[in-house]
Amino acid sequence: MQVDNQAVSYLESRKLVKRWSGPWPAVVNTLLIFGFFYATWWIFQDPRGIMRMYTPYVGYMVCRWLLILFIWLAYIFDFWPFKRTWLNSAHPLLKGVVLTAVSVAAMLLLIKGFFIEILGNFGIAYFNPDRLMAMGLTDFYSIEYAAEAVMMFAAIASWLSPSWVVACENAPWQKLTQPTRGITIVIVTFFLSMIVYLLTMHSHMAILFYPWQQYTAITPPYWEGFANTVSGNFHIAWIMCCTVVVWVYESIWQRYPFNLIQTDWLRRTSSFFGIILVALCMCFFLYYAQDLVWGEAIRGTRREMAPDWRWLHVGETAIFWLVGVLYLSFYGGNWPTKFSRPVNVLLRTLISLAIGAAVYIIYYKTAHLFLGTQKGFSHPQQFPMIPTIWLINIFLINMWFMDGWPGWKAVPKTAEELQETRNEVVASDVRWTPSLGKGLLAGAAAGAAVYFAVITVLPWIGETVTIVK
Amino acid sequence: MTEQKTPNRRDFVKGAATGAIGGTLLGMGAYSYSPLAYSRMSKVARQQADFGACRSVKVTSISETSWFNNAHLVGDIHAAGGLLVDQYSINWAPFGNGKGVAQGSYKDGIDSIKKMIPGDLEEAWATQQKLALHPDNAGGYSCLIEVEDLDGTKHKYLLDAGWSYDWMDQSFKREAIDQMLASGEIEALILSHEHFDHFWGFPVVMKYNNKIPTYAHDGFYEEGMQYIKDSGYEGDLKVIDKELTPIRPGMMAIKFNVPIITRVYGEVSLAFNIKDKGLVLISGCNHQGILQMTSTAYQKLKYDNDRFYGVYGGLHISPFEDWDPKYDDLVISLGKWDFERVGCNHCTGHLTAKKFIEAGYPVVKGTARFRTSSPDYLGNGDTITF
Ligand SMILES: [Fe+2]
Ligand SMILES: [Fe+2]
Repeated sequence: MQVDNQAVSYLESRKLVKRWSGPWPAVVNTLLIFGFFYATWWIFQDPRGIMRMYTPYVGYMVCRWLLILFIWLAYIFDFWPFKRTWLNSAHPLLKGVVLTAVSVAAMLLLIKGFFIEILGNFGIAYFNPDRLMAMGLTDFYSIEYAAEAVMMFAAIASWLSPSWVVACENAPWQKLTQPTRGITIVIVTFFLSMIVYLLTMHSHMAILFYPWQQYTAITPPYWEGFANTVSGNFHIAWIMCCTVVVWVYESIWQRYPFNLIQTDWLRRTSSFFGIILVALCMCFFLYYAQDLVWGEAIRGTRREMAPDWRWLHVGETAIFWLVGVLYLSFYGGNWPTKFSRPVNVLLRTLISLAIGAAVYIIYYKTAHLFLGTQKGFSHPQQFPMIPTIWLINIFLINMWFMDGWPGWKAVPKTAEELQETRNEVVASDVRWTPSLGKGLLAGAAAGAAVYFAVITVLPWIGETVTIVK
Repeated sequence: MTEQKTPNRRDFVKGAATGAIGGTLLGMGAYSYSPLAYSRMSKVARQQADFGACRSVKVTSISETSWFNNAHLVGDIHAAGGLLVDQYSINWAPFGNGKGVAQGSYKDGIDSIKKMIPGDLEEAWATQQKLALHPDNAGGYSCLIEVEDLDGTKHKYLLDAGWSYDWMDQSFKREAIDQMLASGEIEALILSHEHFDHFWGFPVVMKYNNKIPTYAHDGFYEEGMQYIKDSGYEGDLKVIDKELTPIRPGMMAIKFNVPIITRVYGEVSLAFNIKDKGLVLISGCNHQGILQMTSTAYQKLKYDNDRFYGVYGGLHISPFEDWDPKYDDLVISLGKWDFERVGCNHCTGHLTAKKFIEAGYPVVKGTARFRTSSPDYLGNGDTITF
């Protein structure tokens, strides 16, 4: 049993080494991943395919909950109940199949067992489609509404669950063994997600029904004035940004700069709230950027002119960046690594933004041709988060469950490499000097200048560049 | 010397890289959503194209009931894979092939009826009744628009062709549209968009006049363009490819480019300038959104009193009696535009109409005849004059 309770988690304990030199591992994995993506997309999601879960909310719910289950299994439970010896020795393909199957089974149990049967029967009616149908809604929308509620829960958990590992370093339960630690953190983050859900999405669900369910939820919602909409998409915006920033912070930023804080509690709290702050900056910028490109949103309109859609699109845009971030980190070896950490971080940020922007443009130019989705940015059933999260899930299966097979294989880290991993959590590679201070000021001025340059250029881009005809 | 300088320079670079990200984020967070950021946004100047004026516009709702049983319609869409599924593949009449939901195609459908349209629509529809899903659920959307010029002369236009051959033929006969078409009294047919319930009844119009000038959005898919040909059309097809297309003094077609459910692209709506009253907007489904339409009209058109006077048609808000908080945004915001008369039906949604009435908007009620289900709608056979 004690093999599952090591001080170092499985993902930290292994090093992925390329099986072939040169770009071949990345090329082969990329091709395989896209093949797998398309095959599974067709089987499960595509509106022209076999299971057609892209209704869209059912497919949306499934891809988000899968993501959470992967995070729980790999990050929070550190692969418990699977033994470390098995993880180290089983063939990556077998691991991929078994671990994915376990996640899918757990997901079905959670959605059907917990949300629909327990919560939907004894707590909040809208989680159970059968209850909605019995009250006279069409079966299609009954399922969509319930799926939307279940899905939103996952969106919140996709930020809070990994945050507890990445930002809070599992504190104060880091010393517990598995599965106690996993269960504790899942329960705590689930509880927090529930609170955030009630504060952000319950009102959104409550005004789906006529009349507004004013005795059970705050209606109109408190954010109406600030966000210029009663839609909960406002919360999707910043929560998705949080989800993205957690992974940015964990992967391409290597927990910089908060890892410089040596005091444990201060580092953990600053990371947790720092992630939220960075996410809010992103969120407001992405909203404003759309207003600059497409003109100021008009409340009550639909599609790309409507504030509720603009907020949603903030989250969608953020997820495109996440695709770039994870691709660079997983398949690009987190390139570059040769400079000092701050320089690496800046360059990776720029590179991942470029990849994200490219995926964004390619997606909107071509997705309707091969994903079975609709043309245009803002079709009400256009949810780019579904294919992007589906793709990210496949990245995770490949990297977390399959050790990057076939391009990579796992080898145990040496004592030295393990120390390096620890140095990432609490770092001391950047120290205060007057030169550093001067650099900070100069950099901040340059950053602000870049920001103002970008918002000056955006209206012009809106007028001259057409991504979707 | 160099030993001193190098670490200094390295620290400076570390600081600068960190500061660059921080400074950008600071700008993003502190400035982006602030009132200051919006005060510098240039207000777009209104272009206000002068398109003349008319004295009045009368609309007769020939049919606004596109389908009769919402559960069947939504059920078929659901079974076919949701709202993105191509309408020609769902297996609805007249493009059914007997192979079941989502297995249909334009080709199979048209092959089964091509010889019968537009000459023998009864036979064509009867054929399809055996092949398609819920053929009796089909109704259609179509209305007659009578524009009175400033000098008193009247001009008739047909907006949309409906869906079911049976139902549309009956409805046309009820409102004497068959005769107006045959005599050439109706000057043009405007196809608002390619949706089944607005367009698939096209052969019924062809039955009475297959040379009628017809306007269609340039976003019609290949199947749609082929259907126009296969229905025996021999007239002058005007493909609308500009945002504004004047039809006659005081009447303007506005083209919107929006992707729409069941794989349809774009809608054309109509704007009228009524002398001394203001602007009237008439739409098929208004998939672009009513407030998108008012905003466009506000920016692009010149109209009397600079006032929104009336609106008629499907406002596509809760067509399947579904709901979303963004619809509440619309219900809350519509008041700002201060319409004097709102005549809504079809895909507006009964719940929306009810919420409009509760919000105190001037909804013009109907008579709930000929299978229209609620007097909150301007229903089949009802008229409204602006
Ligand atoms: Fe319609
Ligand atoms: Fe429509």
